[in-house]
Amino acid sequence: MNFKHRIVSIMLRGGILACACAVIAAAPVLAAAADNAPPPTAAAPGADAVATSAAPDGAVASPGAPLPDAPAADFKTLDQEVQGMKKDVIDLNKDLFVLQEELLFPANTQVAVYVSMDVGAFFALDSVTLKIDNKEVKNYLYTAREAEALLKGGVQEIYLGNLKVGKHELVAFFTGKGPVEREYKRGATITFDKGVGAKYLELKITDRVTKHQPEFKIKDWD
Amino acid sequence: MSKTPFAWGFALGALLAAASPGVATPAAVPTLIGKEAPDFVLKSMEGKNLRLSEYRGQVVLVNFWARWAGDSRQEMAALDRINATYYRAGLVVLGVSVDEDLRRAHEFAEAMKVGYPILFDTTSNIGRDYLLQKMPMTILVDRSGVVRYANVGFKRGDDRAYLDKIRELLRE
Repeated sequence: MNFKHRIVSIMLRGGILACACAVIAAAPVLAAAADNAPPPTAAAPGADAVATSAAPDGAVASPGAPLPDAPAADFKTLDQEVQGMKKDVIDLNKDLFVLQEELLFPANTQVAVYVSMDVGAFFALDSVTLKIDNKEVKNYLYTAREAEALLKGGVQEIYLGNLKVGKHELVAFFTGKGPVEREYKRGATITFDKGVGAKYLELKITDRVTKHQPEFKIKDWD
Repeated sequence: MSKTPFAWGFALGALLAAASPGVATPAAVPTLIGKEAPDFVLKSMEGKNLRLSEYRGQVVLVNFWARWAGDSRQEMAALDRINATYYRAGLVVLGVSVDEDLRRAHEFAEAMKVGYPILFDTTSNIGRDYLLQKMPMTILVDRSGVVRYANVGFKRGDDRAYLDKIRELLRE
């Protein structure tokens, strides 16, 4: 399915969802209007007779009678509809996100940079600065929680952008606390060839146990 | 020339001011209220990086201050008292310096000796995101990350208004 079809499909689904929302929003108002309406005159005597015969001591309805269950069933149906709509909204949102990504960062120009960290005994990450072709594209400060998430195996997408086909240079500066709590700043560079497809690069922070120092590498995922 | 346009303008201004209690500037601040607070991550005086969105689920008071703004000193002292009382109830107070002179801002913050974190904006992005026009400025962010209250400047009695709003947000 091409972009045009997908956009039309998303718009149609959005429209249907909006209509459904309007109907559900109007349902309580209609129900209230129906409740306030005067009882039908023709059915009233018969209904009164049934109620009187079923509950002669003045009780309105006995337990287990079908009448009180009816609103509960209505609510259940309404709840199911609402849940279904919530799911539709999530699906629609996902489709819109994918579409936005594809439109803003088409595969032929897309460059994504990720950060990962292994062990981290010799380095506590504080910030990463990225430069592509000598132009700063990102400066990211890490909170303690984010650094911890990286240490637990998380991989962060730090940058997503567009680059034209050809040779490019990526320089990453890492700052933080090195061994013995000392301020630490290191850089890593890679020259990569951007082809027709998307380019994925990974900034890897690892521990070099033999030297008791952290090591910073940039991996090109071809 | 008649004075009618001026009179109408004044009346309209008064009406706008009356319609937004607790909001000092009618132009910039109301556009923030009801919207999600722009996220930021800044370095604190202790060297830690703090991100606003990580306090989601708590009521956050953010005070933007500058050393050269006379009311900042008074307001920071008042906020320190509020923080001392309400941090146990889940209130988070963050002071954000928008001072360009980082060294002097550090000195000022150290002299104030407040008990809540002081952050330093070195990029001036905060001023753009929060439409800062006048200092100090204080906003209250609810548990879902939405700006619910804003106040520009500081005068006697403003801390009472903060307390009322904080209590209301903590109860939600």
